[in-house]
Amino acid sequence: MSGTVVVVGAGVAGASAALVAVRAGARVVVIDGGTGASTLWTGGIDAGAPPSEDARDAADALGVVLGEAMVVATSGFVRRVRGRDAALLDLSIAAERGEVGVVRCDRPGWDADGVARAAGGGMVALDANVLRHTDERVLPDADFAERHDDFERLGWLAERLRHAVTRSHRELKALLLPPSLGVEHARAAELTRLVGLPCGEATGLPGGPAGLRYERARDRLFAAEGIEVVVARAERATATSRGWRVTTDTQPIEGDALVLCAGGLVGGGLAYQPSEALPGAALPPTARPSFRCTVDVPVRLGAHGAPLDVPGSLFGVAPESVAWPLARDPLMQRVGILCDAEGRAGPRLYAAGELVADAPRTWLAALESGALAGIAAAADAVKGRPERPSSVAEAPASRP
Amino acid sequence: MPVAMSVAEGALPSREVDVAIIGGGVNGTGVARDLALRGLRVCVFERNDLAFGASGNSSGMIHGGVRYLSQSPHVTESSCRDSGYIQSIAPHLLFRMPFLMPIKAGLKGRIAIELIDAYFKAYDDYQPLKHGQPHCRLDASDLARLEPGLVGAIVGGITFDEWGIDGARLCTLNALDAIEHGGEVFTHTTVERVVRAPEGAEGGRYVVEARDVSTQERIAVRAHVVVNATGAWSPVTASLGGLPQARVRVRPGKGIHVVLDRRLTNYGILSEAIDGRQIFLEPWQNVSILGTTDDDYYGDLDDVRATSEEVRYLVQGVARVFPSVRQARAIGTYAGVRPTLYAYGKNEDALSREHEIVDHAADGSPGVYSMIGGKLASYRLFSQELSDLVAPKDFDVSAPCSTHTRPLPGGESVPDALALAERAGITPVASRRLVYRHGQRALQILERAARRPSEKDMTCACEPVLEAEVRHVVKHELARDVHDVARRTRLGYGACGGMRCAARCGQIVAEERGLPPHEGFEMARSFVERQAATRIVAMGPEQARQEALSLAHLQASLGVEP
Repeated sequence: MSGTVVVVGAGVAGASAALVAVRAGARVVVIDGGTGASTLWTGGIDAGAPPSEDARDAADALGVVLGEAMVVATSGFVRRVRGRDAALLDLSIAAERGEVGVVRCDRPGWDADGVARAAGGGMVALDANVLRHTDERVLPDADFAERHDDFERLGWLAERLRHAVTRSHRELKALLLPPSLGVEHARAAELTRLVGLPCGEATGLPGGPAGLRYERARDRLFAAEGIEVVVARAERATATSRGWRVTTDTQPIEGDALVLCAGGLVGGGLAYQPSEALPGAALPPTARPSFRCTVDVPVRLGAHGAPLDVPGSLFGVAPESVAWPLARDPLMQRVGILCDAEGRAGPRLYAAGELVADAPRTWLAALESGALAGIAAAADAVKGRPERPSSVAEAPASRP
Repeated sequence: MPVAMSVAEGALPSREVDVAIIGGGVNGTGVARDLALRGLRVCVFERNDLAFGASGNSSGMIHGGVRYLSQSPHVTESSCRDSGYIQSIAPHLLFRMPFLMPIKAGLKGRIAIELIDAYFKAYDDYQPLKHGQPHCRLDASDLARLEPGLVGAIVGGITFDEWGIDGARLCTLNALDAIEHGGEVFTHTTVERVVRAPEGAEGGRYVVEARDVSTQERIAVRAHVVVNATGAWSPVTASLGGLPQARVRVRPGKGIHVVLDRRLTNYGILSEAIDGRQIFLEPWQNVSILGTTDDDYYGDLDDVRATSEEVRYLVQGVARVFPSVRQARAIGTYAGVRPTLYAYGKNEDALSREHEIVDHAADGSPGVYSMIGGKLASYRLFSQELSDLVAPKDFDVSAPCSTHTRPLPGGESVPDALALAERAGITPVASRRLVYRHGQRALQILERAARRPSEKDMTCACEPVLEAEVRHVVKHELARDVHDVARRTRLGYGACGGMRCAARCGQIVAEERGLPPHEGFEMARSFVERQAATRIVAMGPEQARQEALSLAHLQASLGVEP
C-alpha cells in the first residue's frame, strides 16, 4: 500500500493530478464517478494563467492545444481562447486572404448562413452534401461525429468538401464544420491534410463530441500510464494511521494521500442545499451552511478566503443573494474547499479543480491545480511518513 | 395647478393627432383602438414595451368577477357580459379554464359547501353571458378521480368556469388594430413632459414631448386630448404634465406568479395561503401558474421582481391541497404591480379593483384624463367609458363604440390548426400554438414560410415558435428585441429559459432590423440573464446544478464570461 495516491474524480483536475503523481513515482488509483463538467466540455478554454511544465504535459496527453486562438461557436459568436480541443478551427492561423467557408449541413442546431452572417464578415456559407445517410439529419452531435472516426468515411467527406470548394469558385482559406470531427480522436488534422485547406469544428453545446474526445483521451492516458481506475461514487473519506480510507458504493480504497477533484456544482462534487430542503418545507431544527461536499470528508468549505457562514435568516439562504447572475461575485461561483496555494486542505489531503474555493471555473485552472496537488500528494505518499493527521479533526465536518 | 409651461410657437411640432395616449398596457391600447375605430387620430407612447407592466404580468384570466357577486352584482354582470364580448372579438385568444375549489372536511366544511353551492347557483345565472358552464358540486370521490393529486380530508368541491387569455397578446392586438385604423404606436419611447401649446395657436391644445430610449431620438406630437393610462406609473406621468400627483393616487400592489414547466392539473385549483388569502394553481397555455400575492410596493416600477420569500409563500399555500407542487420544476417567476385605487387603512385584498376616470379640467387642464385602477377583464369596458366621454365632449364625434362587435386582428375567424399543419408542412403542435396566438393571421405567417421554407425552422422548440413568426412580430407587431418577441410569442418562456433560442432569436431580430450581429447577441444575453434572475428565486437544490449547466450552456454558445 506504500506510496499510493487516491484521486477522487476523473475530470481534468483528476486526470492531471493522476498523471503528475504517477510520473512522480506514486501508485495512483482514480475513483471515477461518471459524467461531470469535463465531459460536458465544449472545446474552448476561456481563462487561466499560462500553465506550468507539468500541466503542459498533461494537456498534451489529453489532446488539447494550448495557446491563443480564435474559435467560432455554433451561434456564430467568435471568441478568443487560451487553448482548444484539437478539432476546433482556429481562425487566427488561417491565411490573410480569402474567406472562411461555413459548410452547410441540414442538422438541427447548425445554421451555416446564420453563422456566416453573425460572424460579421469574412465568412461565406458553402453548399456541400456532407450527410451520407438520411438518419444523419437527426443524429445527436456525438453520434454523428463518431462516424468520422472511420477512415473511409473521412475520405468521403474530404472528397465532398474538395468538390464544394471547387464549385464555389471562391478563394477560401479554411472550412468550418459543425461539431462532427471524430470522437475517438480529433480528425481535424487528417481532414486538413486530405482537403488541402485548414478544416475544423465550431464549438458546440455541452454534451457534444469535444467532451467525449476528452473522455477517450483520458482513458487512453490512464491505460498507458498504468493508473488504476475504479468506477464508483466516493461516499466518505476517513483518516487512518497511514493515510486515508475512501468508502465508495462498491469497495473501500486505501491510500497514503488523497486528492479530491470531484468538481463543483456541475461536476457533482459540491451540492447546493438550502436549509429548507425544498421551498415550502418545514424548517430544519438547526441552521447549517447551504452548501456541502458530496464526499463526506473533514474539510472546511468557504468562499472569498473565509469559511462559509451559517445563514442568519429565518428561511436560510435566499437564492437571489447567493446565486448568479445578480451578484457580481456570486457565492455559487466561489464556494468550495478551503486550501493553501498547493491545494492542501489538511495533512495528506488535497483538493483541485472546481472543488477548490475561489478557483476560476475553467479547464486551464483545473489542469494547473490538479498538477500542483498531484505533485504534492505524490511527495507525501512516496515519503510515506507515518504521521497521523490530527489537525483536520478541528475543522468542522460538512455533513448533510 | 394647470399645465403651466408652454412652448414657443416656432417650436411647435408638425405631427398632429387628436388624442395622445400615454401607456401601452391594456387600457392604453384599448382606448387607442376604441377611439381609432370612431375615426379619431390617436397615438400611443409606451416607455418600455406593450404589456410590460400589470397587463402582461397578470394571472391571464378574463374572469367573471365572482368575488363581487354579493356586494355589487352589477359588476359581476358587466364583467361576464364583457368576457362574452372578448370571446367574440378574439375567439382564438381565449381558452376555457374550469376551476375547482376543494373544501376541507369537518363540520365547518359541510356548512361551507352548502353556502358555496348556493353562491355559485347565483353565479350560474351570469355564465351564459360568457358561454360558461354552470357550476358542479362534486363529492370526495369525484374530486379524487378528476384531480388525483389533491390530498387531505376533503369533503367535496365546486367547479366553476372561467376563461384564460394571454394579456400580452391582447395588448398587441389592440395596438395593431389602432395602427390599422390610422393610429401610431411608439414603444420604448418615454414621455418627458406634456406642455400647453400657446393660446390661440391653431391645432391641438397640448404638446407631448417624448424620447426613444434606445436611439435617443426625440418625438413631439400636438394633441387636443391627452390620456394618462400608465397604471401604477400614473402619479409619475401626471407630474410630467405638471398635474398634482394626489389627484391620481394609486396604491401599487405587487403580485407575483411562479411558472411551472408543464400543466400539472386539468383544473385550476384554489387553495388558502398561510394567512387565509385565496391563492391558486392554474393550467395556463402549456405551463402551470401559481398565483398570486398582493403586497404594497414602493420599489422601482421598471424592475419588479419576485423574491424567494414570496415564492415560498405560494408554494407552501398550494402544497396544502396539492403537495406534488413541491416536486414540480419551476421555470420562472413574474411580477407585476396592480394600479389599485388608493385607500388608506385597508389591507391590500380589501382594496377595490374598480376603475375611475379623472377629468383634469378640474385642475385647469381641460382635455387631460387619467384612467386609474381597473383590471385586465374590464379593459374594454373601461376604454369604452373613456371614449364615450371624450369623443362627444372634446371632438363632437357621436360614433358609437364598436370594440365589442368588430373582431380584433386575426379574430375574424379561427382556421383549423390541424388542417393547416398538414397543408403547411409543420408540426400540429406548432400550428396549434400559432393559431392560438394569431388566429386568422397564422395564414399570413405560413404564407411567408411557404415562400421561404427555411423560415419553417423552429426557433424556439419549447413553445414552439417558427422563425417566420419571429420575423413577423418584428416586422408587423413592433417587437424590437428578444424580450419583445418573447412577450408576443412566448419564445424563451418555456422549460429551457431561452437557453436554446435566445441567441437565434437575437440574430433574427438584428437581421430584420438591419443591426450588426453583436447587437443581436447582446439582446439575447440580456434576455437570458433576466430570465435566469426570475428563475433563481424559485430554485431548489435539485435545480441548482441545472442552473450551473445552463450557465455553461450560455457560455458555450455566446462566449459570455461567467
